[in-house]
Amino acid sequence: MLHAAQIWLVHAIERHSPVATLMRTHWAWPIAESLHFLGLSLLVGAIGSFDLRLLGVARRVPIAAMHRLVPWGILGFAINASTGLLFLLTEPDQYLYNPSFHFKLLALGIAGANAGLFYATSYRQVFGASPSLDAPRRAKMIALVSLTAWITVIVCGRMLTFYRPGDCVGTPGVLLTCQPR
Amino acid sequence: MSIDPFLVWLESTALSEWVVGSPSLLAFPGILALHAIGMGLAAGLAAVLDLRILGVAPGVPLVEFRRFQPVLWGGFWLNTVSGVLLLVGYPTKALTNPVFYLKLVLIAAAMALFVRIDRLIRSSDASAPATARSLRRLAITSLVCWGGAITAGRLLAYTYHRLRA
Repeated sequence: MLHAAQIWLVHAIERHSPVATLMRTHWAWPIAESLHFLGLSLLVGAIGSFDLRLLGVARRVPIAAMHRLVPWGILGFAINASTGLLFLLTEPDQYLYNPSFHFKLLALGIAGANAGLFYATSYRQVFGASPSLDAPRRAKMIALVSLTAWITVIVCGRMLTFYRPGDCVGTPGVLLTCQPR
Repeated sequence: MSIDPFLVWLESTALSEWVVGSPSLLAFPGILALHAIGMGLAAGLAAVLDLRILGVAPGVPLVEFRRFQPVLWGGFWLNTVSGVLLLVGYPTKALTNPVFYLKLVLIAAAMALFVRIDRLIRSSDASAPATARSLRRLAITSLVCWGGAITAGRLLAYTYHRLRA
């Protein structure tokens, strides 16, 4: 079932991709990659420093004041989601059959759910009427998960090149990690 | 005088052969991953400091933001070490490409700007209008340098003329 979905998605993108022609021009891919690295830095700088503040670095800075950096992290994420989508819509098989991409998506999902958890459980404690300068224990755990998840996203992203899917031989696992023929 | 004999020698060293040839994920792939993490920490925190100077998150005192500096320096040294390892792996690829020197100059400029910005923040008249103006100018220049360094670094994969000596 999952294999069929992967194959279907790769074929659908290959047939209908609106950006593949543009992305195959001489400089489009390198420019998109550069933007992807700029977005990465913005995300790590803004979200990473907010996480570190929750963990106790720069304790005298009000957490709510640090939180004003978060929209810039979201901007970095938006840049990377867009450029990432350009890569995916140009070479779908290189990503959808790539185990490193599967783990990258998993880490992205964890980072997203974890951020949701922060706003659902800790937002009021951290930004409430009498905000403490020391974040509650749960918020610290969330910050730690966030840092770990984003580092995993970077590592998996950088590892994509080294897990390029080859032709399938033998029995595949839960997800296809090779090119079906 | 050609540097080719030096490049040939460097590429024949055990360290260079390990970086390039080892099947271990800790070799070339791992070093690249560390280089990306270090970039995020150094360029990211520098960019956030620049944004703070330019008016983002005004409730964060600049002096208190200095607490994040060890992370920036950690990223910088992580990338110096991982960058040297990548250079030992592919010295010809980097050293025969002008873009590589541009990247180094931009990083040196960005770090020099960071040190100057920090010195101004620590100075007693950090809130004086003239100081605030220089801080803003330095912050904009810093953002341009980091953006250029990252772009130049990424373009190294597309602009080299020779891979190995």
